[in-house]
Amino acid sequence: MNKQQSDLFKQGTLELLILRLLRSGSLNGWDIMQRIQLLSAEVLSVTPGALYPALHRLEARGLISAVWGPSDNNRKAKFYGLTTRGRKQLEAQRKQWEQFSDAVALVLRDA
Amino acid sequence: MNLSDLFRRWRALTHKNEMEKELDEEVQFHLQRDVERNVKSGMSLDEARYAALKSFNRLEQSKEECRSARGVGFIENIVRDVTYSLRVLLKNYAFTIVVILTLALGIGANTAIFSFANGILLRPLPYPQSERLAVIEEIARRENNTNIGVAYPNFLDWRDQNTVFESLATHFGTSRFSMTLGSEASEIRGSRVSYGLFEVLHVWPQLGRTFTMNEDRPEEDGVVILGYDLWQRNFGGDQNILSRKVVVSGRARTVIGVMPRGFRFPEESELWVPLAVTPQIYTRQDHGLEAIGRLKDGVSVAQAQSEMDTIAARIAEVNPLSNTGLNVRVTSLHESLSGNYRNALLILLSVVGCVLLVACVNVANLMLARATARQKEFALRTALGASRWRIVRQLLFESLLLALFGGALGFLLSVGALRLLLTAIPINLPFWMNFSVDLRVLGFTLGITLLTGLIFGIVPALQTSRVDLNDTLKEGARGSSGSGGRVRSLLVVAEIAMSLVLLVGAGLMIESFLRLRHVNIGLNPTNVLTASLITPRSKYKEDAQRAALIKQIVERVRSLPGVESASATATLPLNGNVWGRGFTVEGYPVRGPGQAEIVQHTVVTPGYFRTMGITLLAGRDFNDSDAKDSQDVTIIDERLARQYWPNQSSIGKRVRFGPVEDNEPWHTIVGVVSTVRHQRMQEETDPSVYMPHQKMPTAGMTLVARTSSNPHELIGAVRREVAQIDPDLPVSQVATMEEVVAKSIWQPRLYAMLFAVFAGGALLLALIGIYGVMAFLVQTRTHEIGIRMALGASARDVFKLIVGRGMKLTVVGVVIGVGGAIALTRLMHSLLFNTSATDPFVFILISGLLSLAAFFACYLPARRAAKVDPLVALRYE
Repeated sequence: MNKQQSDLFKQGTLELLILRLLRSGSLNGWDIMQRIQLLSAEVLSVTPGALYPALHRLEARGLISAVWGPSDNNRKAKFYGLTTRGRKQLEAQRKQWEQFSDAVALVLRDA
Repeated sequence: MNLSDLFRRWRALTHKNEMEKELDEEVQFHLQRDVERNVKSGMSLDEARYAALKSFNRLEQSKEECRSARGVGFIENIVRDVTYSLRVLLKNYAFTIVVILTLALGIGANTAIFSFANGILLRPLPYPQSERLAVIEEIARRENNTNIGVAYPNFLDWRDQNTVFESLATHFGTSRFSMTLGSEASEIRGSRVSYGLFEVLHVWPQLGRTFTMNEDRPEEDGVVILGYDLWQRNFGGDQNILSRKVVVSGRARTVIGVMPRGFRFPEESELWVPLAVTPQIYTRQDHGLEAIGRLKDGVSVAQAQSEMDTIAARIAEVNPLSNTGLNVRVTSLHESLSGNYRNALLILLSVVGCVLLVACVNVANLMLARATARQKEFALRTALGASRWRIVRQLLFESLLLALFGGALGFLLSVGALRLLLTAIPINLPFWMNFSVDLRVLGFTLGITLLTGLIFGIVPALQTSRVDLNDTLKEGARGSSGSGGRVRSLLVVAEIAMSLVLLVGAGLMIESFLRLRHVNIGLNPTNVLTASLITPRSKYKEDAQRAALIKQIVERVRSLPGVESASATATLPLNGNVWGRGFTVEGYPVRGPGQAEIVQHTVVTPGYFRTMGITLLAGRDFNDSDAKDSQDVTIIDERLARQYWPNQSSIGKRVRFGPVEDNEPWHTIVGVVSTVRHQRMQEETDPSVYMPHQKMPTAGMTLVARTSSNPHELIGAVRREVAQIDPDLPVSQVATMEEVVAKSIWQPRLYAMLFAVFAGGALLLALIGIYGVMAFLVQTRTHEIGIRMALGASARDVFKLIVGRGMKLTVVGVVIGVGGAIALTRLMHSLLFNTSATDPFVFILISGLLSLAAFFACYLPARRAAKVDPLVALRYE
C-alpha cells in the first residue's frame, strides 16, 4: 500500500470495514486482516499496529464484543462479534459513507 | 463518560494483569498465524518467524496503543506516573531538595506578602455588612482637596437632607482619656461620639444600651459606654457594672452599656462618651469631626457622592461665609482605612511575584539540565511505544509534585515570615487588620503552587519530549546540548533581566530611604525623651490650673540629675498630630471666606526650642512672663518669615489666627526658629507658628527632656515625679525622639528592607542559574575544548571563550533588564522620596554590580575549562 492509500485509509474507514466484516459472523484479528486484504483485491492492507488498537477501541465503545474460542487450527483466539449497538452504528455509518461516496462520484463525473 | 465506560475503566484498573495477559495472548496468536502462513508459502521456520516479526515490528507499540484504546490510560496511568515521579524524585534527592527549597522560598514569600495584603485590602472589616459603611469628609479646595474635618452644623444638615444613607453618625476620632484604678493611672483610647454611631455600625451592646439623642447635648452627657476588653481589664467583667459611676478623665460618669468583644471604633477606641456639642458652640467654622454613614441597600458610593455634592452646594449657598470652597467626599470605610497601604502592597506583591518567576526559571533550568541527562530514559520509553503526550505528562507530574512539596513547605515558611514581617512594624497595627490564614490565602497558595509547577514544568517537558530517537540512542552517554542549551541560555537571560529590574527597584528604594533619613528635620532628636501627659479638663477646670500643673511638672523634670533641659509641647513633631489654623498678616489684604492661609500651630512651654535642638534664628524664646494677661506673642518659623518678610526682620510684626471674619486679637512676633517638619519627614507641609502654653493651656501635652546620657535611664524618674504631683495623671507613649522619628518612616524603611531581601534572593537565584549553565556548558564541551587545546589554543583562550559566552548572556540580560526597569520602576514613583525612578546612578551601579557578580559566577566553570588536559579531554566520552 502506498502513501496515498494509507492517507485515505483513515481510522474511521478502518472501523467501518471491521464492522462490515463482522456483520456476517465473529472473526479473530488475524482473519479480519486477511479478509480486508482479500476483499479489497490486495489494494487495502492493514498492519497489526493499526488493526488491534482499532479493535480495542471498538470494543471499548461497546460496538463489538469479544469472546475467547478455538480458531480453525484449534488454538485459543479472541473472536470479535457485532453488538446491537455496533449493528446500528454500521447501518448509520454505511449510509453516511454511501451518501458521501455518491456525492464525490457526482462531483467527479460533472466536473 | 457514561456508566458502562466507567465500568470498563474500573475493570481495566482492577483486572489489569488479566487484561495484559489477554493482550499478550492475542498478539501471540496473530504472530503464530503469520508464521504458519509464511511456512506454507515455502519459507523455513526461522525465515517465517523473522518475516512475521518484521511485519509486526511495532509489536510493543501497538500493545501500548491497545492499552490506551482500552481506556486504562487515564486513572491507571496517573497513578503510575505519580508513583514513578515520586521514585524519580527520591532517587535524585539532592536535586529534589534544591528545587523544593527554591520553590518553598518563592511560594513562602508570596504567601506571606499575600496574607499581609489580604488582611489589609481584601478581608471585610469586622463590622456587619461593612461594605455599606462609608466615611464622609469635608474637603477644602484651597488645601488641594485634603480632608479638613467635618463641622457639626454641616453634619446635621447632611443627616436631615440626604436620602442615600440609612443612618449617619459623627465622632471626634480617637482621643486619650485617663482612668485611675487602684494606685495606677492609665491612659485609655476613647472617642466622643454622636448618638446613632453604634446603629450605623450595626453593633449592639452586650450589656445595657447605647446613647440617646438627648445625650448628645452637653448638659446630659454624664454617661459612658465601655469596650469589652476595658470592662474585663479594669472591672473584672462585673455583670452589675450598669449604673455604676466611674471616673473618666477626672469626671464621674454613669456606665450605661458594654460593647461586645472585639468591637473597636474609631480606630482603637474602647471607651465612648457622648459628643456633647451644639451647633452654637461648634460652628460651621470648626472642622474637627469625622462622619460615618451606612449606605442604603443597593446605593453605591458614587450615588451617595453625587447626592452629597448637591447637598454641599446647597449648604454653601446658604452659608457662603463658612462653606465657600468646601466640598464633600464619600469614600468606602474600607478604602479610607486601607488606601494608604494599597499602592505599596500591590508593588510588593509584584516584586515577590517576580522573585517567584525567577525561582521558576531557575528550577526550569535545573530540570532542563537534568532532562538532558535523562534523555536516554525518554528515548527508551518512546521506543517502547510511549506517546509524546505521555512523556510530557510524566514530566509535568514530576513538576507538579515538586511544586506541591515546595508549596506545602512554603506555606509553613510563610507563617513564620509573616510573623517576622509583623515584628518589623514598629507601630501597633489597627485592630481591623487580621492576618490569620483564611480560605483566600489557602486558595492563593494552592493556585500559585499549581501555576508554578506548570510554568517551570512546561518548557522542560516539551523540550525533553522532543527527542530524536536515533540520535539520542546512538549518541551514547554524551547527551545532546544543541537546542536544550539554547533554551537554557534564554532562561538565564530572562533571569538576569528580572533580577536586574528587582535590584534596580531595591536600589531606588534604598537610595530613597537613605535620602529620607538624612533629611534635615529642623531639630536634633539625639538624647531626647518624650512622654505624653493628660491634664483632664474636668479635674483641672481652670486654664491657670492646667498651666501651673504643666509648669510644675516641667520644672521638676528639669531638676532631675541627667536632664539638661525640659519643656512640653502640644504636638510632638512627626507623631501624626498637627493642628491647622487660618492665618492673616497685618497690612496684607484680607482674603475672602475660606481663603485664609493655613499654618500649623502648636503650643509650647519656655525652653522647648533648646530642648529639641531647634535653632532660634532671631528674637527670643517664650518665658514665664508670657502669661495670661501679658501681650499676645507668637514665634514663627523661618519659612513663614521668609515668605512674608524676605528682606527684613519679622520681629515686632503682627499676625492674627482663626477665620478672617472673626476679629481675633493680633499677636506680635517675638522670635523666629528654624523650620521643623512636623507632619511628615518627606515634605514641608504648612508653615508653623508657636504659642506660649501659659496663654493657651491645652490639656494634652507631651513632655520633652534633653538628657546628658541615654534617655531610657530617666523613664522611671520622670514617672515618679509626675506621680508625686498627681497620681491620677497617666504617663504614656514614653519614647525617645529618635524612636519617634524612626517610627514616622517605618513604611519606607520596611519597603526598602523587603525590596532588598527579595531582590537579593532573585540575584542569588540568577547567579546560581548562570553558574549552572556555564558549568554544564564546560562539561558538555570538554571534548571540544580538548580539541581546541590540542590545536594550540592556550588556557587563556579557553578561559576567555567560556567567560565570553557567560558575559554575552549577562549583557543581553542586563540590556533587557534596564529596558524593563525603565518601564517598570516608574510605577514605584509614589514610594520614592527625592529619587527619580530612572536615577542613572542606581541604574549604572546595579548593572555594574550584577555584571561583576555574573562574572564571578562564570569564573569558576571557566577556570575549570582552562585547566582541561587535552589528552584526558579527547578520551572523555
